[in-house]
Amino acid sequence: MSEEINAVPENRSDYVIEMRHITKRFPGIVANDDVTLCLKRGEIHALLGENGAGKSTLMSILFGLYQPDEGEILKDGKTVRINDPNDANALGIGMVHQHFKLVDVFSVLDNIILGVEPNRFGFLSKKQARERVIALSESYGLNVDPDALVEDITVGMQQRTEILKMLYRNNDILIFDEPTAVLTPQEITELMDIMRGLAKEGKSILFITHKLNEIMAVADRCTVLRKGKYIATVNIADTNREELSDMMVGRHVSFVTEKSPANVGDTVLEVRDLCVKSKLHKKNVVNGVSLDVHAGEIVSIAGIDGNGQSELVQAITGLEKPSSGSITLCGKDVTYQGIRYRNTHGMSHVPEDRHKHGLILDYDLKDNLVLQRYFEPEFQKKGFIRSDEVKKYADRLIEEYDIRSGQGAATTVRSMSGGNQQKAIIAREFDREHELLVAMQPTRGLDVGAIENIHRDIVRSRDSGVGVLLVSFELDEVMNLADRILVMYEGEIVGEFDPKKTTPQELGLYMAGAGRKNAKEESAE
Amino acid sequence: MKKDIKEKTSFGVWLKKFVSRPGVKSVISSLICILGGFVVGFLVLLILSISSEDIDFADSFRGLFIILGGPFSAGNRGDALYQFGNMLFNCTPLIMTGLSVALAFKTGLFNIGAPGQYLMGAMGSLIVALSIPTSVIPPILVWLLALLVGIAGGMIWGMIPGLFKSLLGVNEVIVCIMTNWIAANIVSWVFSGSQFINVAETKMNFIKKTSVNNVMTPTLGLDKLFSDGSLTSYMDIGIFIAIAIAVVLYIMLNKTTFGFELKACGFNKNASKYAGMNEKRNIMLSMAIAGGLAACGAALWCLNGHQDFKWEVYQSLPDVGFNGIPAALLGGCNPIGTVISAIFLRYINAGGSNLVGQTAFNEYVSQLIIAIIIYFAGFAKFIKDVVIDKWIAERRKKSAAAPAKNKPDGGKED
Ligand SMILES: Nc1ncnc2c1ncn2[C@@H]1O[C@H](COP(=O)(O)OP(=O)(O)OP(=O)(O)O)[C@@H](O)[C@H]1O
Ligand SMILES: [Mg+2]
Repeated sequence: MSEEINAVPENRSDYVIEMRHITKRFPGIVANDDVTLCLKRGEIHALLGENGAGKSTLMSILFGLYQPDEGEILKDGKTVRINDPNDANALGIGMVHQHFKLVDVFSVLDNIILGVEPNRFGFLSKKQARERVIALSESYGLNVDPDALVEDITVGMQQRTEILKMLYRNNDILIFDEPTAVLTPQEITELMDIMRGLAKEGKSILFITHKLNEIMAVADRCTVLRKGKYIATVNIADTNREELSDMMVGRHVSFVTEKSPANVGDTVLEVRDLCVKSKLHKKNVVNGVSLDVHAGEIVSIAGIDGNGQSELVQAITGLEKPSSGSITLCGKDVTYQGIRYRNTHGMSHVPEDRHKHGLILDYDLKDNLVLQRYFEPEFQKKGFIRSDEVKKYADRLIEEYDIRSGQGAATTVRSMSGGNQQKAIIAREFDREHELLVAMQPTRGLDVGAIENIHRDIVRSRDSGVGVLLVSFELDEVMNLADRILVMYEGEIVGEFDPKKTTPQELGLYMAGAGRKNAKEESAE
Repeated sequence: MKKDIKEKTSFGVWLKKFVSRPGVKSVISSLICILGGFVVGFLVLLILSISSEDIDFADSFRGLFIILGGPFSAGNRGDALYQFGNMLFNCTPLIMTGLSVALAFKTGLFNIGAPGQYLMGAMGSLIVALSIPTSVIPPILVWLLALLVGIAGGMIWGMIPGLFKSLLGVNEVIVCIMTNWIAANIVSWVFSGSQFINVAETKMNFIKKTSVNNVMTPTLGLDKLFSDGSLTSYMDIGIFIAIAIAVVLYIMLNKTTFGFELKACGFNKNASKYAGMNEKRNIMLSMAIAGGLAACGAALWCLNGHQDFKWEVYQSLPDVGFNGIPAALLGGCNPIGTVISAIFLRYINAGGSNLVGQTAFNEYVSQLIIAIIIYFAGFAKFIKDVVIDKWIAERRKKSAAAPAKNKPDGGKED
């Protein structure tokens, strides 16, 4: 530890922030039950826990979004009351939320100064602000363009904008709520470097993640929560991945999914020469993709985010119209069929963006679980919804997929934790009758225990004869599950691999475009 | 003493749970709004009475009670009955435009086109009711046909913004405002110089009453029941039709697959598309039904048989169309709530009319007070989402702290 910290006077506590005996109740659930968390100056402190363990809630309390029912918060050893985010800001506490809070049509600079706009005689004067933002961006290696519009920049840069926002407000206690869930591996590495740099400057960081190797790589200490209760705080130097995951889930978690060789059957999905035009510019973002998925196999598309995977999936599932090419589902041409037709003819879809497409946040859990099935005779009679059947069905899925929430089937989905929202989608899509499962980032935001379960479920449905098209930005997941790996780069499939015969390094090269260059050179020769 | 505390806290817990229920929350927040409206309205009366020499100080208190009394603050029992009957009759169109706005809101659309839909409904029903001779066809059939034609006119008119929105992505508010004025001009143009103008009573600004052709909404004697002895009120069965429609809408929204889809589209367009719902069709249907509802209100008003419909509307849209918006908001966009809030608004209106007759306040003041109350209705959602939630959170904090202090063995009721 640095000199500065040792130089702190005796009477001041070692801790910048102490959250003592925090209890927070929501209808039907105790989200935080007597939780104590102490943050040292200049440390990176990880917060680990299953989905719905109460991590976001605890951080929202620190940021003034919720008031604790019991317990107290101390800043530099003095009790403070944080009534709202303005109070938090005044105490130097900043937060990057699980779901970003940026204004899409504003520039990066405007977003950063929003709420603290510099003015001269009441007129906005952005010049100094701009200089300061650029200076901050350079000194922490954030590399953001202050004049770009937020809707045009990558998720990673949006996140760095959020970080700049905190730095611009002179915050020195920084909360990151699952910052890496939406980032590519490269961006994650960059973020880790940024975090280390910030800590070295004396900033104290609270870091929520479900990825244990990130905690091992960057954190100094880690506090573990389970079902709202405090379990332990450990030094990262004295622990390992397995111990952490056991502590968090309360049982042993295996990171490798057992699977028998694929028993490949008929083709369930046939994509031929598919092209999709971009909505921004008129170029093809999916460029002549052809692929097959057979019953009983898991085909995985690997690649860096933004290489056309989203558009490919949206075209296959009907959210987006292809400009040319064909899609055949179980022998039927569905290129020009609607989504309902695909849904009822054997397609299940775990969408990339759970808030945009996957859920109706203001509906309760049971209505979300029958979102594509409410019209089936099982749930409907002469146009009237059979609510007791819906309830019975929802209760079964909640039980089977361990979806945790305050009020069970009647919980408004908006109030559920991010991971449990994802589990609700998974339950719905897996339980529907289907022959093809298209899953995009199905384990985004899930804890290791839940990931293990979902991986097992994916393999189980493959073994029961379902064809799976899995799109993931995480090589671990791809290597672990796939029977065949396709690498996508700049809208094209640039290579097909057998996971048993390839290495992450080789895949990485192809994901970075090496495959296509080879192909071009070959054809040129 | 210990028992006392326990009873109090358990009542507190019950109260907290009761208030947390979404329906109860809506009702309470609407009531708070109304109360706020009254308080501010009263302050206005007070200030006016102090600052004006013509108005007695005591008039401000009397004024408040007159407004609160609605139709019942009329001078005597007969007048009160008469006014009450008229109030119920006037509720009908407001309930219908309120339902129109509320239904569109549920689908995520802002139907500010109710005035135009209302006008088309009035035109359709009046033309049918006045042109088909009742000597040939029984009046009740003509009445029914007029009602249906009116509704159809409104549905078509509501469909237009729906089509623009779903096919071209044009904001429905803009199209609604344009269709309002187009409707106003069409209606003025169609009726101008036509045989429908009420020349007999030399009311050149008005269309003939449909009673001249014997077409009248059945009253079942209600008009005579609510009369001051000599003068019958306008009361007819229209309000029961409106309430029945509200019940049907409530059931449709909450119990049917169609309602499930409409609300899903309102909450999240993308997710309903993902789920395979036809979001474009739902937007069009929702707007068409909303238009039909507003038009039905117009038809029920015109077909009463004793109403003067002013045909020269190209400069002013019917305010009952716009007032559907506060009726829907105050009713939490719930069909049943909308019925209640529409009745309430008309009740206050009746009180406002009495204010003019019985105190020195003029009609503008009574309109102002009503406007204030309507204005406060806009806060219903704010109060529901912010104030009440905060109150519940505080209570929870208190009830969590209290048992811990009183019983060291720890309260485990939550
Ligand atoms: N505003 C709210 N109203 C009601 N219940 C809530 C609310 N916010 C959170 N909860 C409940 O509190 C519990 C803890 O939620 P929280 O979001 O803190 O979990 P989390 O640890 O962040 O999980 P995840 O890893 O899935 O994001 C959940 O069961 C959730 O349903
Ligand atoms: Mg969370």
